[in-house]
Amino acid sequence: MTSVSMSTSGVSMDRVSMDRVSRDYVSPFDERVRVVEPLAPRPAGIAGRAVALIDIRKNRGSEFLDRIESQLAAAGAVTTRWVKEIFSKPAALALVDEIAGRADLVVEALAD
Amino acid sequence: MTSPHYGWPADGAAASAPRRAPALSVAGVEPAAGSLDNLTRRGAALLLFVSEECPTSAMALRNLGPLCHGWEAAGLTAAALFEDPLDVAIRVARRLGWTGLVLSQPPPYATSRAYGLDAVPTTVLVDRAGLIAGRVVGWDQPGIAALIEQAASALGAAGPAGSVRPGGNVEPVITLAAPPAAEPRYKPGCSSKSAIDPEIAAAISSQRADDEMEEMFERGWTDGLPVVPPTLERVEAMLGGADGSVSLGFVPPSMGEATLERVAACAVLAGCRPAYFPVVVAAARAVLDPAFNLHGQAVTTQPAGQLVVVNGPVRRAIGLNSGMGALGPGFRANLTIGRAVRLLVTLSGGAMPGGLDRATLGHMGKVGFCIAEDEETSPWEPLHVERGFEAGQSVVTVIGSDAPLNISDHRSRTPEDLAYILAWAAATSWSTNWWPLAEPSVFVICPEHAEMFRAAGWSKQRLREFMFGAVRRPAGELRRGETTPLVHAADPNAEVPKWASPDAIVLLVAGGEAGRYSAVLGPCTGMGSQIVSREVESG
Repeated sequence: MTSVSMSTSGVSMDRVSMDRVSRDYVSPFDERVRVVEPLAPRPAGIAGRAVALIDIRKNRGSEFLDRIESQLAAAGAVTTRWVKEIFSKPAALALVDEIAGRADLVVEALAD
Repeated sequence: MTSPHYGWPADGAAASAPRRAPALSVAGVEPAAGSLDNLTRRGAALLLFVSEECPTSAMALRNLGPLCHGWEAAGLTAAALFEDPLDVAIRVARRLGWTGLVLSQPPPYATSRAYGLDAVPTTVLVDRAGLIAGRVVGWDQPGIAALIEQAASALGAAGPAGSVRPGGNVEPVITLAAPPAAEPRYKPGCSSKSAIDPEIAAAISSQRADDEMEEMFERGWTDGLPVVPPTLERVEAMLGGADGSVSLGFVPPSMGEATLERVAACAVLAGCRPAYFPVVVAAARAVLDPAFNLHGQAVTTQPAGQLVVVNGPVRRAIGLNSGMGALGPGFRANLTIGRAVRLLVTLSGGAMPGGLDRATLGHMGKVGFCIAEDEETSPWEPLHVERGFEAGQSVVTVIGSDAPLNISDHRSRTPEDLAYILAWAAATSWSTNWWPLAEPSVFVICPEHAEMFRAAGWSKQRLREFMFGAVRRPAGELRRGETTPLVHAADPNAEVPKWASPDAIVLLVAGGEAGRYSAVLGPCTGMGSQIVSREVESG
């Protein structure tokens, strides 16, 4: 099981003092250096893996996931289904944490 | 393993002799970061010379950027050397996912000259001894992969300095990931700015230095139109003594912090006068309310923009136009307040069109969209009073909104006919078959149309309910193309209204005294976006 930790915004941030980028101007940008989280190790296979299938509530996303689920099941994966509150907002951190704690892999159906 | 050498050195006789890497004359966030000793202290350095304007440089930064952390752990420090100002370099590096060091060199690009650059990107491997171990010009994935392999080989022999994993285990095996080959494997670079004739380069840089407006474009501080440079003096004047460090919250989608100073910078860029700033701040507070769901609006493929409606005494105090051409150009307060809000979203929030803003078409209201209600002409209570404020309060209301659709009606002689025409104009909002709309449609009623309702004694609520009742079609006639689950589930003969309730119809009065043209602005749908109002706090 891969454990995943996330900061509240999903990325770690270190503030760099760049608000005043020269002695003349005030920047409209929030100049913070974002540390990109490295990709998790890729699994060798999916047989026996716990796979979370997330429906973000876009039209027909569930149909797409139905097809994916049947193929994953045929390959020996153990699937669970999850639904986001609404497609146009970031997923609740509690949902992210719960999925991270219970699944090895995630498939998200993004758009219609 | 043969070192990849492409186009270096100019003196072919020295091709096999390792050459000492010239010192760097660069600026970075940390002053010491740009010394070669610092860059090679962990084992070796990979210098990537790039320029903001060069698409091949962008490709190199995008492909190599995610690998820098891993390289660093294995003893190879990667640095991008931009031929651009440092703030431009940082912004570009962040946008493209470059995770190594970011360095900047000013004109006349002495470091690029010292390295004999013809083109960017150029990738240079410098070993622990400070010698140039290899060099690749342009995007050459196999060449760069070979360079990384060469570094891995050298570092493996020497061992990386300090590659101790958490928990204290020394990791003896160095793994330096090669660049991915998903994009084209080869792509020519662009001319290095150092390769331009020094006199011409000096003239260009001099011209740029003198042209603040062009500098704003270079920095990316724009929505595509010229902006007013946000000098300290202008921003301080905009703040009017307010504490610039006060935070209004975080602007989605990138969650840049909306400090008052940053909001003021956006207001200056937009061309606001300081007198407008309290309205800009109220609008910023409103769009940042989670109920407005700016996150969804900012990144959607829909065209939606953020309509800012102003009510109350502040309209007249700062010269907001609610009369002729109320939805169009000509009035600084309207145009710049709306633009300031949009610059906050696109610059501080990172929703740049074509970047995180994924709008398929967008609309011109996304440059900025601020209107004022003509409360004096309106026969009805103004929007802010409907929303629970006192008439004497100045209030900003924000609504996720599509572009205006003109509604011409010069023939109706009864309020019923006119209400029918107004309402049915909105039948095509979103889609001819997308019924009902849950989110608000905004009708801007022109004074002549408003007068007909006044003369007939129609209240706002009566008009709203009439319009809601007028626009209905049998579900069976709406089942073509894009429609709603409700239409599919309904009996084919069941009448479906255009709106989910009369409350989804917002009525404002504005426009010139002559002409019977009203307008409807369709909604931003599917976002759960609610209308949000905030009082304008006097300075």
